[in-house]
Amino acid sequence: MSTEVDVDVPMQDAEQSDLDLELELEDELMKPGSSGIADHKSAEPVKLTTTSIGQLDAWIEKLVKCEVLSEDEVARLCKMAVDVLQFEENVQPVNVPVTICGDVHGQFHDLIELFKIGGPCPDTNYLFMGDYVDRGYYSVETVSYLVAMKVRYPSRITILRGNHESRQITQVYGFYDECLRKYGSASVWKMFTDLFDYFPITALVDNQIFCLHGGLSPMIETVDQVRDLNRIQEVPHEGPMCDLLWSDPDDRGGWGISPRGAGFTFGQDISEQFNHTNNLSLIARAHQLVMEGFSWSHQQNVITIFSAPNYCYRCGNQAAIMEVDENHNRQLLQYDPSIRPGEPTVTRKTPDYFL
Amino acid sequence: MGSEISPEDDIYPLALLMDELKHVDVINRVEAMQRIDTVAEALGPERCRDELIPFLLEVAQDDEDEVFAILADQLGKFTQYVGGPEHLTILIQPLEVLASAEDTVVREKAVMSLNNIAQELSEEQLFNAFIPLIQNLSTADWFSAKVSACGLFKSVLVRIKDDSIRSNMLSMYLQLIEDETPMVRRSASKNLPSIIDLFAQNQSLPTPEDWKSISTMFQKIMDDDQDSVKFLAVDCLISILKYFNKNKDYSNANDLLESTKKLITDESWRVRYMIADKFEEVASQFSNDEAYINSLVEPFIGLCEDNEADIRKAIAKQLPGFVSLLNNPTVVLEKIFPIIRSLSMDDNEATRASLALTITNIADVLDRQQTTDNLIPVLLDMLKDEFPEVRLNIIGNLKAVYDVVGVQLLSESLLPAITELANDMNWRVRLAIIKYIPILAEQLGEEFFDKQLRELCLSWLWDTVYSIRNAAINNIKRLTEIFGDKWCQEEIISKLLKFDTQLLENFVYRFTLLSALTTLIPVVSQKITAEDILPFINHLANDSVPNIRFNIAKSYAAVAESFSKDLNTYQDTIKNTIIPALKNLNEDEDIDVKYFASQSLEKSQSILQ
Repeated sequence: MSTEVDVDVPMQDAEQSDLDLELELEDELMKPGSSGIADHKSAEPVKLTTTSIGQLDAWIEKLVKCEVLSEDEVARLCKMAVDVLQFEENVQPVNVPVTICGDVHGQFHDLIELFKIGGPCPDTNYLFMGDYVDRGYYSVETVSYLVAMKVRYPSRITILRGNHESRQITQVYGFYDECLRKYGSASVWKMFTDLFDYFPITALVDNQIFCLHGGLSPMIETVDQVRDLNRIQEVPHEGPMCDLLWSDPDDRGGWGISPRGAGFTFGQDISEQFNHTNNLSLIARAHQLVMEGFSWSHQQNVITIFSAPNYCYRCGNQAAIMEVDENHNRQLLQYDPSIRPGEPTVTRKTPDYFL
Repeated sequence: MGSEISPEDDIYPLALLMDELKHVDVINRVEAMQRIDTVAEALGPERCRDELIPFLLEVAQDDEDEVFAILADQLGKFTQYVGGPEHLTILIQPLEVLASAEDTVVREKAVMSLNNIAQELSEEQLFNAFIPLIQNLSTADWFSAKVSACGLFKSVLVRIKDDSIRSNMLSMYLQLIEDETPMVRRSASKNLPSIIDLFAQNQSLPTPEDWKSISTMFQKIMDDDQDSVKFLAVDCLISILKYFNKNKDYSNANDLLESTKKLITDESWRVRYMIADKFEEVASQFSNDEAYINSLVEPFIGLCEDNEADIRKAIAKQLPGFVSLLNNPTVVLEKIFPIIRSLSMDDNEATRASLALTITNIADVLDRQQTTDNLIPVLLDMLKDEFPEVRLNIIGNLKAVYDVVGVQLLSESLLPAITELANDMNWRVRLAIIKYIPILAEQLGEEFFDKQLRELCLSWLWDTVYSIRNAAINNIKRLTEIFGDKWCQEEIISKLLKFDTQLLENFVYRFTLLSALTTLIPVVSQKITAEDILPFINHLANDSVPNIRFNIAKSYAAVAESFSKDLNTYQDTIKNTIIPALKNLNEDEDIDVKYFASQSLEKSQSILQ
């Protein structure tokens, strides 16, 4: 896609034609399960042992400093993560209070900034709505950290799948290359993309807020229909699972063809009907760059949350997260990019000699 | 080829290395190169010299920069592997190749390694191998070799006792200073100060002849047509001044003062910036004579009024240093203060922030009346600056002013400035002012604090940003350390416990309150903990939010920890209140509550044993 982003447009398609790029992909790379992380899945939920808690705490301590795990450690982490995520539901129930976050896209330092604003996990509960990898320079660190937190504190953090948590998209937008660069081979990429298949695709906060990465699907009228999907697979090119990860709300009513080449656009009538049918108060989703970090649409039936400030290090947008307290009061918190030590603070004023 | 050789074979390590170094993947070759010290050790000194080094010489001419950089680095640590200093010259050839490489990193590592090796070479080896190396590099066709050559002179110049050879070396250096490529001139100019510094440590060595060449070099650098070379003259100037001052030789001071002024008024802003940035260091070299310092006042003012904001920003930081060198209140009041005035109203916010950082130190050279009449009005204006960093820098550095005029004079104007910063939109500004509060509290005293700042400090606990709430908690802890736990009980804890119950319906505020009280436990008495804090913790033990419950579990451990210092009085409380509560939490349905409860239970039980 073009990297030119017109910042005047309030809602911007973060990737306009991902699927238009038909790639000649090697079969070997695309084969799910080739990493072997899911070869010995547990038949029932596993309780963390003292040893594995110690191990996870050590990994988290390392990751929070933006240091990568070794390939072997990633393999062990992903195996543990499969045994946590495989037991989560397509519509993962989440309790309040919880803080809901949107795209992160490998901007690790901004993820740390997010925790400075919202409070550290596990003291604060988090729900991330996908797109942890690609674009930013620290996809490996970002996804490793979030997965490690998920395994260590499964009831404190929920990580949904975004359209970038896919074998195909990550080969185009950076995660694959970053893995090659940081590990010298594609094996870590294979492990993570195999793990992505197990991520839940939607969450339901206290039966009131329906959270997902993209949006609604013409083939899904009730939340129960989402529960019936088989989600353990690569994100398909079409169909309900694809739509949930790819669709966008639109000012026009009804269903429309998405300019992204996957998913649909849906109007206020669709959102209202869906919320009414399922007795919901709100659809929370991510997937689109919004300059203020959040954007209400469809008369407060839908909110878009985007948590990557200065997206791609150049869009100049704010980021936001939404705190939902135990009484369902919502508070939106905006924030700017993190300030990294050693980087000069740039003043926005243009020096005279440029004028 | 490696497959035909068995591990018992004594050329196995070398063969293995050669195999790895031929790997198609550069990452493998880099890793192999990182391990060559192991190979060298396995081979022993003789075979290292006869086989490994010739092989590496080949590698050094045909691989990628990443591999070269590691090789260049490794060779510098090879003394023991080639069999001690007497064999070191064998390393010079591969390093010479690397020092001529195109990549800057490779060259720099090669120069560093060569300088390391030079330390261990005998005088004879220097003459026979190292000086010829410098000659080769200095007269090479390609600029990269000459750039490296500039970095090697410092290893030999002071070790040459023969004046004529040293003089030849210096003429060679002069040629590099005059080289046609700016990159070479830049490298030569950059390395000149360290050469002068070495002469300063070996005063007996340089002849008047040597000084003449150094002086010529300095002039050439000052007159260079490239800014990027010319600005390096500032560091040379400082080194030259230091050399003569160390010798108490002031015969050249006049000329050097002229050079200083010339650099200050140079047409290139990079040169002016460089000397502005180091103004105090340069000026202090003239401190033996008041007249010299005074003659720098006008050039100094010139820099303060420079058109370039970056230069004004740099010189603003040098103000207090130069003022104390001047040590002349009349000049300061008449000449410098008008300049301070205008810098404090500079168009560029970074300049004002830079001035704000150090200006308060000027109080050191003024008396009470002068400070009140001249400095305080500037400070008051700067406290109202539109740019938060200016205000923060002033507030954070007021101690020097208090020492001269006392606290009262400023405090009234300080409050509005603090309140405004406390409510700034940007949370990092709020964070910065919180961090200054303990310093202010110490300076302003308890009474003033309670009256003016306490409410503000409590209000930060309810900020929407976690980092502010957390900083507010640590702030209260720090204040308790300053004012004592009785103050904390009366002014903080009692107010916290009476907190608006409606806000507490939000778990964020219950969590903050719990964290605040838990953080205070180590700095208040066991009695306060038992009477005020523990009941609050008990009260929240069945909270509906699991995050609160597992933090309650952690808080109990903190209470038990505090009680362990007075077990006679409190072991019953641990036994009858804390442990049963933790056992209860250990049965919680939430896995994290259970985990943290079991941790705390273990800790509390171990305290009783």
